[in-house]
Amino acid sequence: MLADILTPDLFASAVRMATPIALAAIGGTISERSGIVNIALEGMMLFGAFMAVVGTTFTGSPWLGLVIALLSGMALALVHAFASITLRTDQVVSGTAINILALGLTGFLMEVIFMRPGTTDPVPRLTPIFDFAGPTDGVIGTMWTWINAIVFGYTPIVYIAIIIAIVGQWALFNTRWGLRLRALGEHPRAADTVGISVIRGRYSAVIVSGALGGLAGANLTLEQVGSFTEGMTNGRGFIALAANIFGRWTPAGSYLASLLFGFADALQIKLQLLRDVVRIPSQFFLMLPYVLTVIVLAGVVGRAVAPAAVGKPYEKG
Amino acid sequence: MAEAKREHPNRVVAILRELAVPVISVAIAMVIGSIIMIVAGFDPISAYVAMFKGGFGGGRQIGETMLRATPLIFTGLAVAYGFRAGLFNIGAEGQLFMGGLSAAFLGIALAGLPRPLNIVIMIVAGAAIGAAWAFIPALLKAKVGAHEVITTMMFSYIARYLVSWLVTGPLKAEGQIPQTERLPVETTLPKLHEIFPFLVPSRAHLGFVLAVLLAIAVWWVLKYTALGYESRAVGFNPWASETGGISVSATTVKALCISGALAGLAGVTEVMGVHLRLFDQFSAGFGFTGIAVALLAKNNPIGVIAAAILFGALSAGGGTMQLEAEVPQKVILIIQALIIFLVAAEQISRWILGRTVRRGVEDAG
Amino acid sequence: MAPPLIEVREVTKTFPGVLANDRVSLSLDAGEIVALLGENGAGKSTLMNVVYGLLTADSGEIRVEGEPVHIRSPRQAIDLGIGMVHQHFMLVEPLTVTENIVLGTEPTRGGVIDFRKARDDVREISRRYGLAVDPDAVVRDLPVGMQQRVEILKALYRGARVLILDEPTAVLTPQEVRELFAVVRSLVGEGLSVVFITHKLEEVMSVADRVVVMRDGRVVGETRPADTDMAGLARMMVGREVVFRVEKTPSTCGDTILELDDVHVLDERHLEAVKGVSFSVCAGEVVALAGVSGNGQTELIEAITGLRKVSSGTMLLKGEDITKAAARQTIEAGLSHVPEDRHRRGLVLDFDLMENTILGDHRLAPFAKYGVLNSSAITEVTRQRIKDYDVRTPSERVKAATLSGGNQQKLVLARELGRDPDLLVAAQPTRGLDVGAIEFVHSQILSERDRGKAVLLVSLELEEVQSLADRILIIFEGRIVKEFAAGEASDEELGYYMTGGGGDKLAAAPQEVVVSDGGSQA
Repeated sequence: MLADILTPDLFASAVRMATPIALAAIGGTISERSGIVNIALEGMMLFGAFMAVVGTTFTGSPWLGLVIALLSGMALALVHAFASITLRTDQVVSGTAINILALGLTGFLMEVIFMRPGTTDPVPRLTPIFDFAGPTDGVIGTMWTWINAIVFGYTPIVYIAIIIAIVGQWALFNTRWGLRLRALGEHPRAADTVGISVIRGRYSAVIVSGALGGLAGANLTLEQVGSFTEGMTNGRGFIALAANIFGRWTPAGSYLASLLFGFADALQIKLQLLRDVVRIPSQFFLMLPYVLTVIVLAGVVGRAVAPAAVGKPYEKG
Repeated sequence: MAEAKREHPNRVVAILRELAVPVISVAIAMVIGSIIMIVAGFDPISAYVAMFKGGFGGGRQIGETMLRATPLIFTGLAVAYGFRAGLFNIGAEGQLFMGGLSAAFLGIALAGLPRPLNIVIMIVAGAAIGAAWAFIPALLKAKVGAHEVITTMMFSYIARYLVSWLVTGPLKAEGQIPQTERLPVETTLPKLHEIFPFLVPSRAHLGFVLAVLLAIAVWWVLKYTALGYESRAVGFNPWASETGGISVSATTVKALCISGALAGLAGVTEVMGVHLRLFDQFSAGFGFTGIAVALLAKNNPIGVIAAAILFGALSAGGGTMQLEAEVPQKVILIIQALIIFLVAAEQISRWILGRTVRRGVEDAG
Repeated sequence: MAPPLIEVREVTKTFPGVLANDRVSLSLDAGEIVALLGENGAGKSTLMNVVYGLLTADSGEIRVEGEPVHIRSPRQAIDLGIGMVHQHFMLVEPLTVTENIVLGTEPTRGGVIDFRKARDDVREISRRYGLAVDPDAVVRDLPVGMQQRVEILKALYRGARVLILDEPTAVLTPQEVRELFAVVRSLVGEGLSVVFITHKLEEVMSVADRVVVMRDGRVVGETRPADTDMAGLARMMVGREVVFRVEKTPSTCGDTILELDDVHVLDERHLEAVKGVSFSVCAGEVVALAGVSGNGQTELIEAITGLRKVSSGTMLLKGEDITKAAARQTIEAGLSHVPEDRHRRGLVLDFDLMENTILGDHRLAPFAKYGVLNSSAITEVTRQRIKDYDVRTPSERVKAATLSGGNQQKLVLARELGRDPDLLVAAQPTRGLDVGAIEFVHSQILSERDRGKAVLLVSLELEEVQSLADRILIIFEGRIVKEFAAGEASDEELGYYMTGGGGDKLAAAPQEVVVSDGGSQA
């Protein structure tokens, strides 16, 4: 039975499921490194997912849909940045407002554009990049099946996420951008006294995180599902924040932590498919990622240290 | 004497000042809402007229508004109490689900017992299970510092899947629809017009009265008890509280559990007073709207009543709006979000209030 | 004659309700050390923040080498060759020394930081000015004196010709102060100019070429150390004769109130901060715990007041075991605590005066019965305390945040002493207060003693220790290393023991200082 569960597509599915969480988690990393809590990632992801479908519907091109998703996430991020940086609103409250706004906007626009609540029409998806034929027989065939599924089987945003994790990790610790970002979230006044603009730095970080949230949404609709359903992000933005904490506020760590949640998700789907064999109600599998999130937070928080100035508005002088 | 005299106008000004921001925020939010409607090709005036008619147009409509305000008072109080203690109970929705679950279960189990007794038992039980559902996040917050925004949210999802399982499985009533059995009349809340015959018949139920009384009780607890004092102290400054002999972790746990209990009651009264059974979608996001209610009320329990009635009216009027002006109800969510922004970012309203008012207030304060 | 390197002309700066700088003028020549002397709140830091571009003056002019300049941001100040070391370091603790020094002016190639060049540059300037540091050390792990050195290097890396040091000795051990003075002199030898902000007279006398004295936002005098003495400077700074010693009667030691036996306490990082402390305080005496900041005083006080766990040892209050007591039990056992940081631990700034007055007693009569607060009793007691302790406030309903620092501290005293405790634990009770408030606090502490109460005082100020204490315990590296009776020891002797002097059993301690110092020179 274990062989039925631990198949190559389970692991491939884990990577796919991890992708939106990872993108949002890296977004959370970048935003929190700059000192701004972004619990609005859930809403940015939702809005991005919806706008990706809208964009694809109207342009016919999922790639343009992706770009529109990116911009939509950035637009909501701009609102969050304005509220929390310029107006110095409580960042968690502002994030909550954006999450509700995203629910309202997507629901409202859905009825305006698609003339019905619930789910949109299907749109063309982004398809897997590689399509290699390989051996199918023997040990080599088995190995190839695994490699093909786990390494070559993905759609574009899955690879983009991996690249962002690697490049982001390197950039955070080796570039001017990374050094300044780390300084902003730890001691914004120190950055200010050496001539780094706290406001500009935080704005750009939050907007980048919004772009990543939008991209995460595009992955959900344009690669995973093929259409948009109201509220479809289902707490992934919050799980992403837990992944960011578990990954100790680093892009690579966030990605790896997201794989854990992605695996829980993939396992959940797999077990549902096998429900004739595994006689446990599906709801318990659906709970898995959320239970896992609580366990991870309970176990890790005491030891992981957030950027010192995170959540605190910066006031000059 | 002179001192006492000076105090009086100060208090009036202070209350006006407290009211100014919420009122202006709601107004601006509705203006922005109408801009969105215009852009989307709707007529905002007829939309708001329909909305008002649906919310306050007559006795039945006012009853409907009270009905919708009831769960929002509970969840608004829940979020407000948490905020006062420095906690953001974003997972009120989950505690509400658990409260609803306990009512649906007990409503069947207690069938045949006297109604008043049932009501008391079910309310106490619902509050208790709501508190229990907040207990683990509270403990994690107090002991390891796990942020309650993430943990209560996760518990929310867990509660929803739990309910989803129970209504499709163990607690499912006969028939196709995944829902529990209908509660017998002795385990439900009476309608208000059944108790007060002079009222126009409506769907409003005893839960509304309960919610209002509870709001007053919460206000009193916060202001006049050591428990409320400790909650507020920890919310403002945990270090000074600790120095003053207040256990920060115990206070945190108590506050989040109280918050959970209040949210749980929203679920109890929805099941006992409105749906008379439990199903997947029995809450229209009351836990989240509670956040908007609490913020609009600036975490004042009495203000929560007013804010909840406003949101209740928006929701009751939303149906009429969709029917008559054909504007999607979801626009209400957008207005809600805008209100949260505007209340939270006080400067916007203060700026609109203008310099003169601000000056006057500052001189007085 | 060349124009002064920096000239401040008639600078005025107001904050809401406060005139922080009132037409202040000041000049600084190349190669000069100017001490800017004044009490807390005299406007010294404000003036220098204006020069450094952190604040913008309402009016007035700043000239650099005779040219009028408008400094609107630190960036511009840096470009003009002005560097500033703030009282609270502007260092990003989790970053390395090199990262901190180059931050904002990183050597890069296409956005990628050239860490090799950065490290070489840091080594180069650290060699040139004789300021040894390890470029790869993480700032958080460095001792305070070394962090300050990083701050100075930061300014030098940016080509500073003028260095503003804001209260640089506040956080240093006497050993580190001596090192800092040597550094300052060598910098001046290299052609730099230094503005040295301080309120400590001895420092002015030993390091400055010229002294500018500020009081209430104005420059009230200018002199050279050679032309004056400490008393003269004090008179200028405070505006009247200063009594350095408080008059007090001999103490009468009654019952033992507080008794500590071999107490060990860990700090946040789980390192032993208090390493076996034993002493007692009896009724009617003031025992001062004197030491340089960071030698375990904070942890010890937190342990006594129930805010921190004791890892071993016992503590008795009036014979009752309070070793494991939480803050609430210590309060009920008769302990009052004036905490070191009144904004963080002493007051709930968003609470009004009434709510602050009952903090700690809020579950006890007359303030509460069965957990319900008694508003009229609270109002009455608060009004009485405001009167008794001379808290200047428009009413008891205003938030504590609206009071001045001195009145806030009086409010804390009103609460803690109003409780009529058997033991008062006062940690740096006069920190940041003006002279008037200091005198008030001192007289309250002595009157508690005279009423037969026990007082445990923690202070970094030798003057305060000398004038209030009946017995002085010197704490160094978590141990009580010496005890003196009142008047038995000179300031010099106290300072000697406070910095690890004396006692062979302490041989390890001073060595640690050398190790951390030597390590960084490697």
